[in-house]
Amino acid sequence: MVFVETMTSRERVLNALTGKPVDRPPVANPTNVATVELMDMVDAPFPDANRDPELNARLAATGYTELGFDSIMPYFSIIQESSALGCEMQWEQKDNWPTVRMYNPIWKGIGDIKIPSGFLEHKDNIAITRSISILKEEFGDEVAIIGKTMGPWTLAYHVFGVEMFLLMSIDDPKMTMECLHKLKEISVLFGQAQIDAGADALTFPDHATGDLVSGEYYKRFLLELHQEMAEVLEVPLILHICGNTLDRMDYIAQNNMAAFHFDSMNDPQKAMDIVDGRIALIGNINNPVTLYSKGPEDVRAEVYRCMDAGVNMIAPECAIPLATKLENLLEIPNAVKSWMEEHSLETN
Amino acid sequence: MPIVNEGLEKEMVHIAKPFEAQHIRDLFEEADPLMQEIAYALIRGDNNEVDSLTSDALEKGFTANTVMDDGLIAGMAIVGIKFRDNIIFVPEVLISARAMKAGMAHIEPILSESDIPPVGEVIMGTVKGDLHDIGKNLCIMMLRGAGFIVHDLGVDTKPEEFIDAVMDHGAGVLGMSALLTTTMPNMGRVIQAFEDEGIREDVKILVGGAPVTQEFAEDMGADGYGKDAIECVDMAKELIAAKNS
Repeated sequence: MVFVETMTSRERVLNALTGKPVDRPPVANPTNVATVELMDMVDAPFPDANRDPELNARLAATGYTELGFDSIMPYFSIIQESSALGCEMQWEQKDNWPTVRMYNPIWKGIGDIKIPSGFLEHKDNIAITRSISILKEEFGDEVAIIGKTMGPWTLAYHVFGVEMFLLMSIDDPKMTMECLHKLKEISVLFGQAQIDAGADALTFPDHATGDLVSGEYYKRFLLELHQEMAEVLEVPLILHICGNTLDRMDYIAQNNMAAFHFDSMNDPQKAMDIVDGRIALIGNINNPVTLYSKGPEDVRAEVYRCMDAGVNMIAPECAIPLATKLENLLEIPNAVKSWMEEHSLETN
Repeated sequence: MPIVNEGLEKEMVHIAKPFEAQHIRDLFEEADPLMQEIAYALIRGDNNEVDSLTSDALEKGFTANTVMDDGLIAGMAIVGIKFRDNIIFVPEVLISARAMKAGMAHIEPILSESDIPPVGEVIMGTVKGDLHDIGKNLCIMMLRGAGFIVHDLGVDTKPEEFIDAVMDHGAGVLGMSALLTTTMPNMGRVIQAFEDEGIREDVKILVGGAPVTQEFAEDMGADGYGKDAIECVDMAKELIAAKNS
């Protein structure tokens, strides 16, 4: 039996994020799907596409128009608001991701944390909010426009440096907590600006990853803070944390956010068992090995693994390598539809 | 001498593998109790205590190698095992590394004046586009502690910078690190650059970093993969031995 879609991409994503029925699991990438091939296709290369709203919107739209994903993500990286805060930046070239020079941190302690006047009007924040407005006008009814605002833990890495911030978390946990509470104001400010511009949902990267800190760290420093964010930012929030997260997924399931975007290091069935319907899961096709180095058949196998496990939205695990082949990305929605057709046959 | 330091003895419950527990007990067996104190202060991440105990030990006539091997490195071995087994995480490792640095500040000037030959020479760097260096720096600290000479190229290292460093120093091992799935493919580009220059066989290439796997390392054409700083040291020793055989 041929599977027939009955929802728009936007309806599908928003339903999946709010626990309502869907015709099929949406395909999304809450981090991004920019690649060099897509940049060439629409003449919107990095680094300019990160900083110019018109180029940004043009490249972001390809996730929907060329790849057939159900969402558009115009914030490709994780550094826009850090640039606006004054961090030293490395914008790189077309084939590399822009990044913050965290070895030259701008702040040393809580007394340094100040949101610059005109923060939201900074070129690199405007690039995102204007792009969201452009995309909303062009695709608003068809496809979910997802914004992105960095959580305080990730911002702390950028402004204090990873090593210094992690040392602070041991040397002075109280000050660490105070820093996080001050930094969350930045998350709210930029997140709300994107909501006002038309974002349907927000990705909330906050990299308390199992590769760096324990699950207890998540509970101790971030759980309540994330619950507060879920209340204050009134669109569905998608927490993103890379790496091993099974040991903190029970806590993550209690953060009242709509969804968690998880990494391929975590078995999808185990993840689904832990969250047990308390939060939607999005993921978790492997990037560096499967999407970058292998072929469509391997992509399909991973998509099927996620679909079999009941993962709520299918997506690459994180930001994809910029040289990822389009045929592998195109295979993700194809495989989801094939899985639906095969399972429609089983039930009819 | 058995472990007499109570805190250190309590730490031993974290060493689950019997052969590792025996190895660590053997390290302390022939060592002075002062070395156990140094090791335990290092595990706790008490850099002031490590600083003062190391200084005391040297004043009492213990050699720099003894203090380094039986105190600092023995303590770091326990830290490494706890990290590998997810008992502790990076912040806890960082405070121990800071304590190790405090101790090594006394040791290194003495060792640099000695004529002990190095175990090998290693070039280390984080690949182009990646500015993360905690894992790399932990590996460097452990490699230096194990007797390697390490040339640190820092972060955001271009293929030609890796090539120049290997050629300039005649290093036997090149270690590359990446934290991001987006920058991991640059490891393959560096290996390809060595092949293009016709010097791939001159150096053994070791890769690591949180998202890097054995499978990825093999796909990229690396000679070795280290999951953590302990494996990095073990693999560097293996690669040096293979290169010299």
